[in-house]
Amino acid sequence: MSAVNEALAAPPKPKDYKSALKPIWCPGCGDFAVLNAITKALAHQALPPEDVALITGIGCSSRIAAYSSVYGFHGVHGRALALAAGLKAARPDLAVLVAGGDGDGLSIGGNHFLHACRRNQDLVYILMDNQVYGMTKGQASPTTAADWADSKLTPHGTGIAPFQPTSLALAAGASFVARGFSGDPNGLAKMLVEAMEHPGFAFVHVLSPCPTYRPEQMDWKKIVVPFEAPETDDPLEAMQRVQADDGMSTGFVYRDQRPPWTPHQEDVTDTSLDGIEAAFRA
Amino acid sequence: MSIASRIPDLESFFAYSIALEEEAAERHEELANMLEVHNNDEVADIFRKLAHYSRLHAAEVKELAGDRVLPTIAPWDFGWDDLEGPETASIDDMDYLISPRRALEVALANERSARSFYAGLGQWGLTEAIRRTAAEFAEEEAEHVELLEDWLQRTPADDALARFDPDPPHMPE
Repeated sequence: MSAVNEALAAPPKPKDYKSALKPIWCPGCGDFAVLNAITKALAHQALPPEDVALITGIGCSSRIAAYSSVYGFHGVHGRALALAAGLKAARPDLAVLVAGGDGDGLSIGGNHFLHACRRNQDLVYILMDNQVYGMTKGQASPTTAADWADSKLTPHGTGIAPFQPTSLALAAGASFVARGFSGDPNGLAKMLVEAMEHPGFAFVHVLSPCPTYRPEQMDWKKIVVPFEAPETDDPLEAMQRVQADDGMSTGFVYRDQRPPWTPHQEDVTDTSLDGIEAAFRA
Repeated sequence: MSIASRIPDLESFFAYSIALEEEAAERHEELANMLEVHNNDEVADIFRKLAHYSRLHAAEVKELAGDRVLPTIAPWDFGWDDLEGPETASIDDMDYLISPRRALEVALANERSARSFYAGLGQWGLTEAIRRTAAEFAEEEAEHVELLEDWLQRTPADDALARFDPDPPHMPE
């Protein structure tokens, strides 16, 4: 076998799914490991990069689309799920991954998140949670503890109980819910493979520490533990489990086999603008 | 399940060894890029060199493996004692102001960890071929440990002033 043929026949490696851009995340940021987990998951499935799209919103973690060699769309703040829903409706053949942070996904994008969960469209949503707005220099986000007082904007803390993303996803009807940790990129890669194989809306909540604005999160490695019980297909049991948890347990939580939602599609043969408009009016 | 019991034959041993070195090389390269972007060129150079050495070691193991058909193992199925391979530097050990000494200390800890991995297989490996090859690899890793210890000795102590950033990223607005 020639060297060229050998190279062509070789299975893809994670680095094949990285772009030439060097991430500008702070050294130590958990988002590096999430990028590694995504590329490992894609390499494991040997997906051609042109068959995958990574859609993101705005924030530190949302830069991840630029660091991958798959199709990427660095969208509008909080609207990554809306963009991804449109893309998946138009191109159901693509594997569509959506990624972003806790601020992007649960504050301005919170409503899209709820409806994406109940719609159960075949998407994978990776929420990289560091409990802070990092890009804007460290303000409280929807997942920040009520008493976190390290921002001048909230010198006495927000006084508001944080969202629990996995509980929200379950309550809103997501058919696959899991929680991973950036300190375990291999375990997270496995989780992402299963999320991609799941036919429906898969929500993967990732604890991804911010070394700059939440340096105390670098201790998460010492307190993250696997869920004691295995995953369930009973939503009540899953909800009780995540409600009783301190937010630091990782693993698969819930999975059901509802068929994914797919939009009704007209068979448009004339793809000119006039043709599309005519089909739309019909 | 112990790591030794996951490695039934020499083919699996080579697959583990190649993964260990390749993962270390990729991480060293990633750390070099990470620090280069944050203008810590001194440490970026160190990690770039370490990536080069890890790639050389991976190539040596592949050459030793020769035409053997090695098993394909998913990253999460290796079952490393830690969450990543023994020679893989942890991302969360990094800081944009990390000193050359600290970087070398991280690298040294990882080389020692790799030495322990091979030494363990040298003792507990399931076959004689695994035990013999692992013992040889442990000796090689011991040489790397010595080289790093020597490198560390030649590296000046941390200069607190050089590590001072008057405009840190977390400066409150």
